[in-house]
Amino acid sequence: MADTRFVNQKMVGTSVVPDEAIPLVEGEGRFLNDIRLPGMYHAAFLRSQHAHARILSIDAGAARQMPGVIQVMTGKEMLGKVDPFESMPNRFSGGQSTQHWLAVEKVRFVGEAVCVVVAEDRAIAEDAIDLIEVEYDPLPAVTDPRLGEKDDAPLVHETCPNNYLIKRDYERGNVDEAFEKAHLVVKRAFSIGRKQALCLEGRGCVAAYRESAFTLTMWMSHQLPYVVRHYLAKHLRLGEHEVRVIAPHTGGGFGQKASIYPEEFVCAHLALGLRRPVKWVEDRLENMVASTHARDQQIELAAAVDDQGRILALDSNVWVDVGAYSTYLWSAGMEPLQTAGLMPGPYQIEALRYVTRGVATNKTPVGPYRAVGRPSASASLELLIDDAARRLDIDPVEMRLRNLIPGEKMPYRNANNLVHDNVNYVPCLKLTAAKAEYDKLRAEQAQASDNGKLRGIGVACFAELTGLGTSTAVGPGTLLQPGRDAVTLRLETTGVLTIAAALPSQGQRIMTAMTQVAADELGIKLSDITGLTNDTAMAPYGFGTFASRTAVFGSGAVIKAARELRRRILALAAHLMEVPETDLTIVDSVVQTVDRAKTMTLREMTDQSYFSAKHIPEDLNPGFEVTSFYDPKFGSFAAGAHTVVVDVDPQTGHVEIVRYVAAEDVGTIINPAVVEGQIIGGIAQGIGEALMEELVYDADGQPKTVTLADYTIPSALEIPTIELHHANTPSAALGGFKGCGEGSIIGAVGAVACAVADALNRNGGDITAFPATPERVLTGLGVLPTDS
Amino acid sequence: MAREKTIQVTVNGRAFEKTVSVRRSLADFIREDLHYTGTHLGCEHGVCGACTVSMNGRSVRSCLTLAVQADGAEITTIEGLRNEDGTRHPIQQAFLEGFALQCGYCTPGFLITAIEFLEENPDPTEAEVREALSGNLCRCSGYQAIVDAVMSMSGKPAPENA
Amino acid sequence: MKPAWFDYHAPDNLEDALVLLGDAGIDGRVLAGGQSLMPMLNMRIVTPSVLVDINQIASLNSLQAGPDELRVGALVRHADLMRNPAVREGWPLLAEASNQIAHRTIRNRGTVCGSIAHNDPAAEHPSLLVTLDGTVVAASAGGRREIPAEDFFDGMMSTSLEPGEMVVEVRYPRPRKGACFGFAEFARRLGDFAIAGAAVMATMNGGVCEQARLTIIGMGDGPFRARAAETVLAGSTLDAVAITAAADEVRSAVDPGEDVHGSSSYRRHLAGVMTERALEQAMTRARGDGNG
Ligand SMILES: Cc1cc2nc3c(=O)[nH]c(=O)nc-3n(C[C@H](O)[C@H](O)[C@H](O)COP(=O)(O)OP(=O)(O)OC[C@H]3O[C@@H](n4cnc5c(N)ncnc54)[C@H](O)[C@@H]3O)c2cc1C
Ligand code: FES
Ligand code: FES
Repeated sequence: MADTRFVNQKMVGTSVVPDEAIPLVEGEGRFLNDIRLPGMYHAAFLRSQHAHARILSIDAGAARQMPGVIQVMTGKEMLGKVDPFESMPNRFSGGQSTQHWLAVEKVRFVGEAVCVVVAEDRAIAEDAIDLIEVEYDPLPAVTDPRLGEKDDAPLVHETCPNNYLIKRDYERGNVDEAFEKAHLVVKRAFSIGRKQALCLEGRGCVAAYRESAFTLTMWMSHQLPYVVRHYLAKHLRLGEHEVRVIAPHTGGGFGQKASIYPEEFVCAHLALGLRRPVKWVEDRLENMVASTHARDQQIELAAAVDDQGRILALDSNVWVDVGAYSTYLWSAGMEPLQTAGLMPGPYQIEALRYVTRGVATNKTPVGPYRAVGRPSASASLELLIDDAARRLDIDPVEMRLRNLIPGEKMPYRNANNLVHDNVNYVPCLKLTAAKAEYDKLRAEQAQASDNGKLRGIGVACFAELTGLGTSTAVGPGTLLQPGRDAVTLRLETTGVLTIAAALPSQGQRIMTAMTQVAADELGIKLSDITGLTNDTAMAPYGFGTFASRTAVFGSGAVIKAARELRRRILALAAHLMEVPETDLTIVDSVVQTVDRAKTMTLREMTDQSYFSAKHIPEDLNPGFEVTSFYDPKFGSFAAGAHTVVVDVDPQTGHVEIVRYVAAEDVGTIINPAVVEGQIIGGIAQGIGEALMEELVYDADGQPKTVTLADYTIPSALEIPTIELHHANTPSAALGGFKGCGEGSIIGAVGAVACAVADALNRNGGDITAFPATPERVLTGLGVLPTDS
Repeated sequence: MAREKTIQVTVNGRAFEKTVSVRRSLADFIREDLHYTGTHLGCEHGVCGACTVSMNGRSVRSCLTLAVQADGAEITTIEGLRNEDGTRHPIQQAFLEGFALQCGYCTPGFLITAIEFLEENPDPTEAEVREALSGNLCRCSGYQAIVDAVMSMSGKPAPENA
Repeated sequence: MKPAWFDYHAPDNLEDALVLLGDAGIDGRVLAGGQSLMPMLNMRIVTPSVLVDINQIASLNSLQAGPDELRVGALVRHADLMRNPAVREGWPLLAEASNQIAHRTIRNRGTVCGSIAHNDPAAEHPSLLVTLDGTVVAASAGGRREIPAEDFFDGMMSTSLEPGEMVVEVRYPRPRKGACFGFAEFARRLGDFAIAGAAVMATMNGGVCEQARLTIIGMGDGPFRARAAETVLAGSTLDAVAITAAADEVRSAVDPGEDVHGSSSYRRHLAGVMTERALEQAMTRARGDGNG
């Protein structure tokens, strides 16, 4: 059962104002682009303008001659010196891709790096890029996964027949029988466009040779410093101990900065050769085509339903347009496997079948982005549930209540083989419905509106597997199967506690959370705790920040280390204070007997232990440093249910969100305000995903959304006030924590999609393609012709 | 024609005379030449607002202004917001205590824009705040905490510095 | 994303600016607010070899609302225009529509004349100038000329300015008594360029529309004057039937292009909707104070 005891709980559960944020609010953050080393050069990349072409020749003569240019390098010149990114065979069908850091022979998407220029400053490097002439022989481009999988389609990689980078068939339970005996079979098509994580800060690096004790020091805007270290060493043929990776302040990650990309590795290679620091900062035009995209799924989903509205089986077909390469580390399997495999979400599904494919196309590779796969999986199922509820004349909320996994059935193993336990699906749904006054909303909806708008109500439930431990694979086919993460706690000579962990924050205030947990476990004042993070030279081993794992791993490791550290502190204090250990406790950084008769500050104690060590018996170690690894083994489900009310303008197709009520189960909360920020931030991204954001390509593979004016993310005006409520239950992980970084985006996409569809359905229309842009909404209402 | 020009600017109360390339943006000048790196670049084409600074009392996109155009100007960046005694400007404090920043990359632009707006409209409605901030994009927060932090300044005396 | 090289000049008087522009010919560009030019320079979409920055020319920073006309100099920013009491009072269409142009920070720099010279098909000002029957004052080293709005805009991002010529001022005649305005636009977010919009000035006399000027924004070729619709409106009371008929005329007359924000047929549809909304506003105002 959940271990939720703290030695001295005061801070966990409090909205502690994060010290971490002070430099940021004062303009003194240190982001990647703020790092400047003496003698530093700047890199820029020549990128393919073609979706698919053979490179015939590259003439960089004029660029090499330009004053201020230090070096120009092509892919061919790098061949044999470094090892390209090879995707890993997985146990399903599909071929493998090899991605050279700079294209050799062929380019496979617009934006693929072809040449690099190193110059004295960025503007000069860009001048030189303009002088390089590349001759291409254009090849037919694959831009649609449904055409790309046909036998006669051109191939993105000769190694991938039918352009499959992955294809998986899955069946569990008796699907055919369920469909035969079903009272009702509902089917639905669903598609969602390509997305961009759109971190406000792009990627970037400063690669430096012998900057410190390491051969290569790499500052990189990245979520996984140790993982980067591992792969830099591997591909540059260095020892891992020769590489130091530092993740400075990072302007958003959302998964986009959890992949490994060629550009930073090219810079590292060049810096080692030039023996000078090389900086590359991805600008927005690059970011739109060179950093991973996301989603881009087409789903055909069918459900067998009995006369009570109980779902008996799900059967789906999924196509994901995964782009030109199997994204390094995570592979092309991410979206296809998670979309299809996690389709059952929080519902009791006994029989499941799917065929899912990741089809290579001549577009930017698809990689992880907040809640990989699940927003589409969830939205398509939620829409299907609404269809079934309508056909059976059951209220949509009631239909969900009949299908959610109830607490009394837990632990419950779903047809996708995941075990659900300690999670409040039903309470979340009941809470959002109660807070939103759902019945009243429906009653109001039934009355004719007087503003000319079409009202829609959407309710969606979701499950979010967080904090995956070693027993739950992140995904088959990924190179990275994370293990345990460590935290080091060190009581400094000053009695101050330092927490070190390789769990970078992109705004999640991870260090603040760990500080709060440590304070409660140890009885140390918050003001006596500092944090070190993000630097492989200072933090113990860890896999970094992704997949809503960090709070679970970091806090769990803090608890383990703190318990050991506390034991050591008390042992020494008992000796120094001449009382039995069992009489001692620590309160507000003071070791004291339970009756407070004797006290000793931690400062006094560390003073003695470090500086008067001769009084200390040999078996009582003067150093107070503990490193603990933590593994929650299994993941824990977080959950939520969102209610959304929209008004659709039937003349323009504009969708306005008039009310948003979310109920979430995120386990034991460490810092409520931080959690609220994560949830609301995720909802905002989900609203953008459902209504606004889409990367568009034309049939030749040319990207049409290359600026922030083309790819529209929500501003403060598109996001309503979010009403947030909690129905938390502790997880089985140490501390009872769950992750909360991703879940809410799932609920938002589903609930908004259902609300729009509801408004349309009640007016004789429907919508199957998302985002629900104004134009798609009008098409769905029959106001515009379908082929527009 | 010279590709460099010598300019005089006052940034955060400090006077500078510098020779700059005519093609350098004000943003790059402030960041690279004056080392005030608190101003951020999120798009370099005017949409995100992260680069917003105050120039002669008006907010401007520093990515869409050339450094040479700031000749003779007074500029305030996020680093210049703090009070004379070194404490945070009230709106910085409101952002901090209101959890109005996550990654913090958008923060400089929001602060500068909000200060200008509050000077014109010290007692705004939430709708006015959302509209005033609509030219600044934040990808992390969902805006709620930012809007609340700005609203919490409502009715307070106009900030001094920017 | 850094601009290519250019020569930069910041003359402090118009004469010098015109000489510099004349010498540069087609390689020269005026730098006004920079809110459209700088993004294009940063992205290297345009690479002029000479930039003539007009921001130091004090005489261009002039905004005068006279009895007959409003004169807006080349350095008047969107923010200046929309806050000016005389403009709000006499040319409310300009003030109102300005609120839809970008965001406060961009409006602090971007100029009205720059918008007009740039002629982005989705921008408001070119269409407002046509609706209000304004005039562009262009100058070059060789002299000045006045160009009626409708002759000025000639296609997507293109105007009748000659190389070496610049806009020094735009003029808007004072609307006649009885003029009523309407403005509606649809964009994905406030401040984005319009997917479609409509601006109307209807001159009412005794509840009857004597004349209407209706311009559609966002159709691809710069301002689109909807003459057939204007004909339908003239003589009507701006009643629902006339409004619907005008919107139908607009829908059949426009031939919009398409981009990621909307297909041609969506834009055509919206042009009709925006026409209706703009006309309904004008009609409401006509029934209210008959002036506004
Ligand atoms: C994020 C963003 C959103 C925007 N949204 C909108 C919007 O919704 N609606 C809208 O209308 N605009 C919008 N704009 C553009 C803004 O209004 C610009 O200010 C305007 O279009 C151009 O004015 P400017 O003074 O900045 O011109 P500049 O950028 O300086 O110049 C633009 C072009 O016009 C030429 N030019 C400028 N002035 C003159 C002159 N006097 N004579 C001859 N040529 C000249 C320049 O050489 C250049 O080619 C937006 C801009 C941004 C960055
Ligand atoms: S960087 Fe200037 S607006 Fe985005
Ligand atoms: S806090 Fe990250 S973009 Fe606003």
